[in-house]
Amino acid sequence: MKIITSLLAGASLALVASMSSAASTGNTLATVDPEADRLALQAFFQKRFPQVELDDYANGIYALDAASRAQWEEMEEFPPYEFDIEAGEEMFNTPFANGKSYADCFENGGMGIRQNFPYWSDEQDRVVTLELAINQCREANGEKKLKAKKGAIAQISAYMASTSAGNIIDVKIPNDKAKAAYLDGKAQFYSRRGQLNMSCANCHVQGVNIPIRADRTSATLGHVTHFPVFRSKWGELGTLHRRFGGCQNNVRGTPLKAQGKEYSNLEFFMTYMSNGLEVNGPGSRK
Amino acid sequence: MRKNIRIKHALLGLILAGASTVAVADADLEAKGKALYLNKKKGNCIACHMINDPDAKLAGLQGPPIVAMQARFPDKKQLRAQIWDATVKNPKTIMPPFGRHWILSEDEIDAVVAYIYKF
Amino acid sequence: MKKYLPLVAALVLSSGSVAAASFEDAFNAERALHGKGHTFTFEGKEYTTDHPEELEAAAEATEANAKALIASAKAKHKEVKAVGYDWTLTKGILKSANKALKAGKFQEAMNLAAQAKYHARMGIRQAQRSAEDWVIMVPGS
Repeated sequence: MKIITSLLAGASLALVASMSSAASTGNTLATVDPEADRLALQAFFQKRFPQVELDDYANGIYALDAASRAQWEEMEEFPPYEFDIEAGEEMFNTPFANGKSYADCFENGGMGIRQNFPYWSDEQDRVVTLELAINQCREANGEKKLKAKKGAIAQISAYMASTSAGNIIDVKIPNDKAKAAYLDGKAQFYSRRGQLNMSCANCHVQGVNIPIRADRTSATLGHVTHFPVFRSKWGELGTLHRRFGGCQNNVRGTPLKAQGKEYSNLEFFMTYMSNGLEVNGPGSRK
Repeated sequence: MRKNIRIKHALLGLILAGASTVAVADADLEAKGKALYLNKKKGNCIACHMINDPDAKLAGLQGPPIVAMQARFPDKKQLRAQIWDATVKNPKTIMPPFGRHWILSEDEIDAVVAYIYKF
Repeated sequence: MKKYLPLVAALVLSSGSVAAASFEDAFNAERALHGKGHTFTFEGKEYTTDHPEELEAAAEATEANAKALIASAKAKHKEVKAVGYDWTLTKGILKSANKALKAGKFQEAMNLAAQAKYHARMGIRQAQRSAEDWVIMVPGS
């Protein structure tokens, strides 16, 4: 009986939490206010988990679930992604056939710039993610595009993230076109998809840290900071868009294209929500 | 008189047989419902709803526990409707609309209702 | 036991009934309560709780009818893919329908095609519904 009582108490707490309010902002270009959205989402989580420091959200579910944190910290002592960073560094420093290299494509030679991605590009009329920029760099130098979800592209991205460790995420929305992309990403985040009819928010806002069988879902605040990620379930490194596809597949929706506009806009919204947090990629997760 | 008794016995037998057929059918339906409750690719109710069944280990907590079902749903059909589409009563719910999205067939929903209504 | 009674009471009280406004709502409410094969009236007219796709699958189980239903299910599937709201299982259900067709199991093929077609229609509906009401999912709204 004790178990039932505490379970019921847990369920009622969850109800209360989902009813607790944070300021809401618009669903049109005229009314949407990204900065108000970001502050409201932070306030939502701080009210829900008052004991958790804002910065700790960069550590995902381990910020909230003490039971799994110790295990994760142990894993991070001998990081499973170390080899990937080395492999990424080697590729990053290997010149293309034309003699140029990745460093020539990026600001500051590509070092310490992870926090500025993704960004809105007027010339390209789209959101540019780091992985997209890596591939554009290759193509501009006569090399073939890399596959978007894992392998070399994730390793190069991991190396670039590692040079940005501790930098503060700082995604900007410079004009109305960028704002429209942000709004599209926001709409995607809150839209129900797949046969199971779930939005990202169902698990990663509403249902955060509540068990689904033995697993607990993480807060969306801090989601993007540790990518690319070495996932034990994959046994390898993968990009953020690979993870998006996995999530969408879990709710029985056919994944959208990695590095397509939809997922890039979603990344734009999610990264803006994490503005102010530190880059700590690559990371490891269960 | 003796004939009467025999008829009575025969009748009683018939009634008992009928009742036990119903009971067997109920038990079959409940067993089917339980299998759906536990099956990850079917109902997977256990992912979110704790239930006081020794076979339902490590249930999730996203949804309310399966307790006092008859008190909560005096009309069994309302329970059916809740499984069919929980967004009607709570537009923000995480619960998938098992009927509206044909995740389970109508017969399968009836089986799940039969199983959980005992709790 | 006593401790959790108020919580149970709260759960009981929260389950009220909702009046149907549109035909879609009325149909769904009836189907939710009674499953398929039930009749109900909406604005003076009588309907059954069968999906249109199920009614199509109730046609005579012939090769021609099975082929036609699979073809229309595939067309609907193409539509839902175009809006980006395709569901993962639909493709496999269509495959199974084709397999049943080839094995001469026409009724089975029609039933599967009906489900796939319904899934595709619901995916398109989901895209519309999400566009209309995603904002309710934002915390605080």
